[in-house]
Amino acid sequence: MRKLCGVMLLIVAAVLLAQANIPIKVTLTMMVAGDQNMVDFFQYEIAPEFEKLYPNVKVKVVGTGPGDAGSQQIIQQLQLEKDSGKDKWAIDLVVIHEAGTIWAIERGLIRPYTDFLTTRRLVTMKTAEVALGVNVNGYVMPMFHSQTAIAYNPRFVKDPPKSYAELVEWVKKNPKKFGYNGIKGGMSGVSFVFGWVYWKSKNPDVLMNGPFDEKYMEDWPQIYAELKEFNKYVTLTAGNAGTLDALNRGEIWMGPVWVDMFYTWIREGRMDPNIRLILPEPGMPGQPMYFAIPTKAANADYALKLIEFVTSPAVHAKYIVDKFNWYPAIGVEYVVPHLGKEVFERLYRDIKEADLLKFGKRMPIADYRTRMLEAYERWVEK
Amino acid sequence: MKRRRDLFVGFLLILPALIVLGALYVYPLILSVYTSFTVQGRYGLTNYVKAFDIYWRDIIYSVAISFATTVATLIVSVVVSGYLRFKSWKFLELMYKLPLFIPFLIVGHAMRVFLAPHGTLNNLLTRILRIEELPGLSRSWIGLVWAFVWIMTPYATLIVLGAFRSLDSAYIEAAQNVGASKWKIVIDILIPMCRPSIMVAFILTFVRTISSLTIPIMVGPASPNMITVNMMFRVNYFNDWGTANALGVVSYLIVMVFAIYYLRFMAAERGGIKA
Repeated sequence: MRKLCGVMLLIVAAVLLAQANIPIKVTLTMMVAGDQNMVDFFQYEIAPEFEKLYPNVKVKVVGTGPGDAGSQQIIQQLQLEKDSGKDKWAIDLVVIHEAGTIWAIERGLIRPYTDFLTTRRLVTMKTAEVALGVNVNGYVMPMFHSQTAIAYNPRFVKDPPKSYAELVEWVKKNPKKFGYNGIKGGMSGVSFVFGWVYWKSKNPDVLMNGPFDEKYMEDWPQIYAELKEFNKYVTLTAGNAGTLDALNRGEIWMGPVWVDMFYTWIREGRMDPNIRLILPEPGMPGQPMYFAIPTKAANADYALKLIEFVTSPAVHAKYIVDKFNWYPAIGVEYVVPHLGKEVFERLYRDIKEADLLKFGKRMPIADYRTRMLEAYERWVEK
Repeated sequence: MKRRRDLFVGFLLILPALIVLGALYVYPLILSVYTSFTVQGRYGLTNYVKAFDIYWRDIIYSVAISFATTVATLIVSVVVSGYLRFKSWKFLELMYKLPLFIPFLIVGHAMRVFLAPHGTLNNLLTRILRIEELPGLSRSWIGLVWAFVWIMTPYATLIVLGAFRSLDSAYIEAAQNVGASKWKIVIDILIPMCRPSIMVAFILTFVRTISSLTIPIMVGPASPNMITVNMMFRVNYFNDWGTANALGVVSYLIVMVFAIYYLRFMAAERGGIKA
C-alpha cells in the first residue's frame, strides 16, 4: 500500500512538472562584424542583461573582424548554411555593414522583419531605408550610427581648418602634419577620400543617392590628380588605430578618425583628452551598422527580441551612447530623457547635432564606391 | 599475389596523407586557378588584365622586397652561423632563436611602435644625437625589410648553422693548418660546401616573405603594397575573388620559378655526388 502511494505520488509529481511552463533552452547565435568593441558590447554588456530577461536563452557572440572583411566572413557563413539546404540555420542574428547587407539581400541570405519591430518607428535617419543607394527597407534595423571627423591637437593647431579647402591650404603651411591611412588601412581613410570626392565633384548628391552613370565620373581624373598633389604634403599612417597613435605621439597634428573610436580611447585613457574634433565642410561620410536576421534563422523570435532590447531608448542611451560613444540609431529626442547631461555634452561637444545633420554625409552608392576606391589605386597610389 | 597485396596495404597507408593533401592543397589550388579565369560565370583573362593594369608595380615591388629581405637574411644568418661554428656563445645561441616564438602579429605591432617617427628607436636616437624629428622607418620599405629580416633570420640560421655544424671538421682544420683566417674559411669553404642548405634557406625565406600579409599591413608603406595586401583589399572591399585569385596565381608563378631552379639545382648536385 505504501509502495503504491509512493508510485502515485511520483506520477502526480511528474505530471505536474510536465504541466509547468518550463521554457526550452535556446542558444542564440549571433555573428558580429566590426572592431573588438562591438564584440565586447554584445558579449559583456548586452548578453548578460538579455539573459537576465530571458533566463532560458544563452547568447553566443562570434566576432568576425573589422571592416567589410568582417561582413564578408558573415556572408560566407550564411552562404554555407544556405548551400547545405538545412531547414534551420545555425546563425540567428547578424550585425553587418551596408555593403554586406546588400550582398546578403542579393543572395537571399537575410529576410525582412522590421514590420514586427516596435522600435523601428523611432528611427529618424534615412539609413534604415537605403544603404549605398540600394533599398534595404524592411531587412535592417540600424544598431547605431558612426561618423568620421577630423581630430586635431589644439596644442599645435590653434585655429583648425573648417573645410576641405582650408585644409588644403593648411597642409601646405604644415607639411606632413596631417595624416590619414590611405584606403587599405581602414575606413577612416576611405571616408576622408570619399569626402574629398564629394567636395570636388559637381554632383555629390548623385554619388550618394544614384543613379549610377559613368558620365558623373568625368571630372574624376582631375579630382584624384589634386588628391595626389595633396598627398605629397601629408603623412600616410597605419590604419585607423595608426592615425590615433600618431596623433598621440605628436607625429601628426590632424587626421580623420572614427568619432566613437576616438571617444572610447579617451575614456579608456589611451588618448590625449585635449585632442578635439571638427567636421569639415562640405562633410564627411558616416555609416550605420545593421541588425539583420538570416532567412532561416532557427531562433528568429529571440533575435527579434534582442534587437528590440538593444534599440529600446533606455538601453540605447545607457550602452550605445554612454558606454560606447556611438551616435544613436533612433531619434536623439527619444534617447535624451535617459541620458545624463554630461554624456550628451561629451558626444555633442565638438560636433553639434546640427553639424551632424548638415555635414554628416552618406557613403557613396555601391557602384561609385567601388570605382572611387579603384580610381584611388589607379591614379593616386602610382 | 602477395606483391599486389603489399602494394594495396601500402596504398592504404598513404591514403590518409593523400586525402589531406588533396582536400587541403590540390583542390584549393585548382579552385584558385579556376576562379582566376572566371568573371561572373564567364571565362576570360579580364582578371589578369585588371591585376596587371592596377598592380604591375606592386608585383615588382613584392619581388624586390622579398629579394632584398632574403639577401639580408642570408647575410645575417651566415655571419651568425659562421661565428657559432667556431665559438660557443650561449647568449647568441638563445637570442637568435627568440623570434621563432613570437607571432607575426606581435612583431608587426612592436615594429610599428619601435620604428615610428616618434617611436622608441627615434626617441633613443634623439636623446643620444640631440637631433629632433628624425624620419620614422615604419611605413617605409626599409622598415618593412627590417621587420622581415628580424622574423626570417632564425629559420634561415637554423638551417645554415645545422649545415655548417654537420660539415666534417677535418676540412676546416686543414685550412687552418695552412693559415686561413676564420673569415676566409667561411667564405671559401663553409659557404661553397653548404650551398644546397643555403639554397633551401634562400627559397624558404623568399616564399615565406612573399606570402606574408600581417607584416606588410602593419609596417609596410601605404603604397606600393605587397601582393597579399592587394589580394585582401580586392576581397574585402570589392568582394572580387577573381582578381584576388589572379594575383594569387601570379605569386604562385613567381615562387615556382625558384622552386624549379631549386629542383634542377638539387638534381645536378646529386648527380655530381654520384659521379
